Amino acid sequence: MRLSTLPLLLLMGLFFVIPLIMTALLSFQGTQYYRLVWTWDLKVWTDVFSQVHYWTIMWRTLVMALICTLLCTVLAIPIAYGMLHRLSRWSDHITLLMVFAFLTDAVLKTFGWVLFLDRSGVLNGTLEAIGFPAASVNVLFTPNATMIGMVYNLLPYTIFTVALSMARIDGDLVLAARDAGASRLRAFVEVTLPLAKPGIWAGAVLVFVLSLGVFLEPKVMGGGTSPLAAELIRQSFETRVNWPLGAALTLVLIVIGAAALTVFGAVALWQARRVAND
Amino acid sequence: MTKSKGIPMFSPNRRTFLQGMGAAGLAGAGLMPRSAQAATSMKFMCWEGYDSPDIIKPFEEANDVSISIDLITDSPGGFAKLAAGAWRDFDVVATDSPWVQRMGPAGIGEFLDDAEFADVYDSFYPQFRAPFEPLNFEGKTTGLPTRWGWVGPTVNTKYDKLESWRSYAPCFDPAYKDKICVLDWGDWPIMPMALYAGIDPYKELDDAELNEIRLVLRALFKNTRAIVGDLSVAQKGLMDGSFRTLIGGGTYCTSALRKDGQKEIMSIVPEPKDGLKQGIIWMEAGGIVKDPVDDAKAKALLRDLTSPEVAVKLAWTEATCNLVPSQKAEALFTDEQKDVLQMDYMWEAWDKSHFHNVAPNIDQMLEIWSQELAAAR
Repeated sequence: MRLSTLPLLLLMGLFFVIPLIMTALLSFQGTQYYRLVWTWDLKVWTDVFSQVHYWTIMWRTLVMALICTLLCTVLAIPIAYGMLHRLSRWSDHITLLMVFAFLTDAVLKTFGWVLFLDRSGVLNGTLEAIGFPAASVNVLFTPNATMIGMVYNLLPYTIFTVALSMARIDGDLVLAARDAGASRLRAFVEVTLPLAKPGIWAGAVLVFVLSLGVFLEPKVMGGGTSPLAAELIRQSFETRVNWPLGAALTLVLIVIGAAALTVFGAVALWQARRVAND
Repeated sequence: MTKSKGIPMFSPNRRTFLQGMGAAGLAGAGLMPRSAQAATSMKFMCWEGYDSPDIIKPFEEANDVSISIDLITDSPGGFAKLAAGAWRDFDVVATDSPWVQRMGPAGIGEFLDDAEFADVYDSFYPQFRAPFEPLNFEGKTTGLPTRWGWVGPTVNTKYDKLESWRSYAPCFDPAYKDKICVLDWGDWPIMPMALYAGIDPYKELDDAELNEIRLVLRALFKNTRAIVGDLSVAQKGLMDGSFRTLIGGGTYCTSALRKDGQKEIMSIVPEPKDGLKQGIIWMEAGGIVKDPVDDAKAKALLRDLTSPEVAVKLAWTEATCNLVPSQKAEALFTDEQKDVLQMDYMWEAWDKSHFHNVAPNIDQMLEIWSQELAAAR
């Protein structure tokens, strides 16, 4: 181990490993009259594994995170490609606009969506003005609205990573494919897309991890009727003042996230090996 | 756990650090007596509104003290923070009354001598005078009431009749499907539903009663459009008619809208059902945290918060407007303010309500809430 890795190890130890160990230790304690009691037992874990609703919420969180990751990736690829190749003149301006959107507080953006999607909001008002029935779009306070919010807030992460990856592709390779008779679509599918894979994977992993912890979108846009894991954890810590339960649920979420990332990684590795063998 | 007055050995914090410094360093050098250090700053844990400069600044100037504020966003969380050890850092707390009452048995609050505050009690409405049971623990007073209101359906009379909400029945009426908003504020929405189910949630409940609460919550969620934690979303829906009522709210939700001129929005208390009162009175109270730096100034702050002049300011803040226990303050309110606060209705609401307390089965009820919500959609 090199000495140069010591600061990183120290940082990781102080701000990741030790808090994680403390969280794990907390999950073996109990609460009495809203106070932490050092019991060192498995009661909380027994609760976690015997209550179906915790797993319902965890499962819902995992599914929402996977859908969000898929949507962000699918949307980011053409947007990033378009920015670099079709709107290259405006690429800097688009990037700047995205950075502005990125820097705007998520709370403001999410509440903006409420005003836009509301039954009496901008969208329905516009539709009504052009002849549609009143409140024809009734999406606010549904899981679909949660998904819109999640994709909107997380999409820039995938666009940036995919765009960065695509920008590093040698343009001569695409030109060579075109010279060899490949259509624009075929050159994109067989040259650009495989070479952009590292950026696509990185963006997908980033969005997946972030979407496991979304709190604002299900609460504000989803109307709180389909809570996700972060809300469950907040309720355990804050409303129920049951810190051991909150700690246990946090660990469950971390394990689910890590397991999903391991599967992601294994698939990516398998694919890379398959391509190498071909 | 006992608290050391000397140099801290195991749990350094702001106050013990200052005390330790005073004892070991500054006092040793003869630069600053500890009492002078102690008298210059106080730490106040409170809800929004208590931190208003109109309230804090005059007190600071009059008492030559600097107050640092720690705003709480939920009462159980505030209590848990104090109980976890932060009580060593705080002097005064203003939170929901059950949590001030609990500071006594938890050993993190100072008891008050009612006789010492006799003049304060004299300025209160008779309902709040000593001995005031909701803030008593084993006959000892844990705090002084500061603000109050009621929990009941909130209605925009532009879109619905007030009479429809003399009961919580519309919450379960298919005609109101997707028109109900529930406030996700811990136990607040659960208690009214338990009362509607004919169960007093403030007593020890058996499995059958808990199951009744489960069924009533399940039915409520079927009609609910949104469960919101943010007051502004709830208020917006109430104003534009997309929500016919807010469950778990009450005067705390409507007063700010009424202050802005929307007098058609009101909070009422349902009529008793089968002899069981359906309303809930909530109350905030001020208490002194155990071993304050300066006991006299902590008491002075409590006295200040309950004085008629400050009570009016506390009733009328940017965020919310609420009733106060001070009867003498009533004369200081304008007619407009009295109207906003629905003061003509307050004793009717009081008579039809239970006093909010920490329910013995609250954790089970919150778990049922969580289970039913997970299964709702």
